[in-house]
Amino acid sequence: MKFFVYRYNPDVDTAPHMQEYDVEVTRGMMLRDALMEIKRQDESFAFRHSCGEGVCGSDAVNANGKNMLGCTTPVVELKEPVNVRPLPGRPVIRDLVVDMSQFYQQYRAVKPYLIHKDPLPEQEILQSPEDRDKLDGLYECIMCGCCSTSCPSFWWNPDKFHGPQALLQAWRFLADSRDQATEERLDDLEGPYKLFRCHTIMNCVESCPKSLNPTKAIGKIKELMLKHSI
Amino acid sequence: MSRQASGLRAWALQRISAAYLGLYLIYMLGHLSFNAPESFEAWRTYVADPGVSIGMLLFVVALLIHAWVGIRDVLIDYVHPIMARVTLLSLFAIGFVGCGLWFAKAIFLASVAA
Repeated sequence: MKFFVYRYNPDVDTAPHMQEYDVEVTRGMMLRDALMEIKRQDESFAFRHSCGEGVCGSDAVNANGKNMLGCTTPVVELKEPVNVRPLPGRPVIRDLVVDMSQFYQQYRAVKPYLIHKDPLPEQEILQSPEDRDKLDGLYECIMCGCCSTSCPSFWWNPDKFHGPQALLQAWRFLADSRDQATEERLDDLEGPYKLFRCHTIMNCVESCPKSLNPTKAIGKIKELMLKHSI
Repeated sequence: MSRQASGLRAWALQRISAAYLGLYLIYMLGHLSFNAPESFEAWRTYVADPGVSIGMLLFVVALLIHAWVGIRDVLIDYVHPIMARVTLLSLFAIGFVGCGLWFAKAIFLASVAA
């Protein structure tokens, strides 16, 4: 199977280029396996990966124009030749390795932890099964970055717009019955940038390897904001 | 006092104006398909009706609000140099206000003539 892989080493290259590799497809081969095979053929090639089973979120790449996890994408599902590029919009460190600092900064900015103001109980804070169900589809995010780096609004304003990943997590804590900082969280999201750069383009929903729906979560935040403002 | 441009209010206004624009357009297309005025005079009499002229004025206000939030979004997304953004925002604001006044004048004149 033919692969064209984005290669760029800023220490040596003046400009990035696409390099051709031939990989023999084995049964059940994932894109990550193919990249590891390419690495075997050419040691200078760099890409991130770790768990190999869609849990760590390290090996998100752009293959044939779509963001996906290398480890959960069977190569037979990709059209040949496969064009593999780094996640769009992020500064390239080398080959498929990109700088995700801004993505993590945006995540940190939504305070992705429970804020509980009452004195903490002796045991855990109880939650009804119904309230717990509200977190389904939110907590599963593995922070691979497929969504935020496929979002045009995040491409244009990655320093100011939180992006779908961080906003999904903002809703995860707004929706949590144990969290007591709803007002502060909503106040923090006001203004034209942090939340409202979302124009419901929905690339995030399309690219999420965990089938989560950040657009829906963003809609819920807007709805809650409206409720709290009138 | 917030130093930021509005987020929630702009978004809510855009949604509300969209609802009015959608409903009005359906009504107007229906009216013009089944009950189109025969002549310019008939059209002018129709527009001069207070219900119709208010509905039209509201349509223009909704359209301009909707367009303003939309163009503001486009400029915030794509135009980053601050002076260029301020200039473009001002030009669009002046243009939109001008369009609104021109339309109001047309409706007013139709009412006067009728």
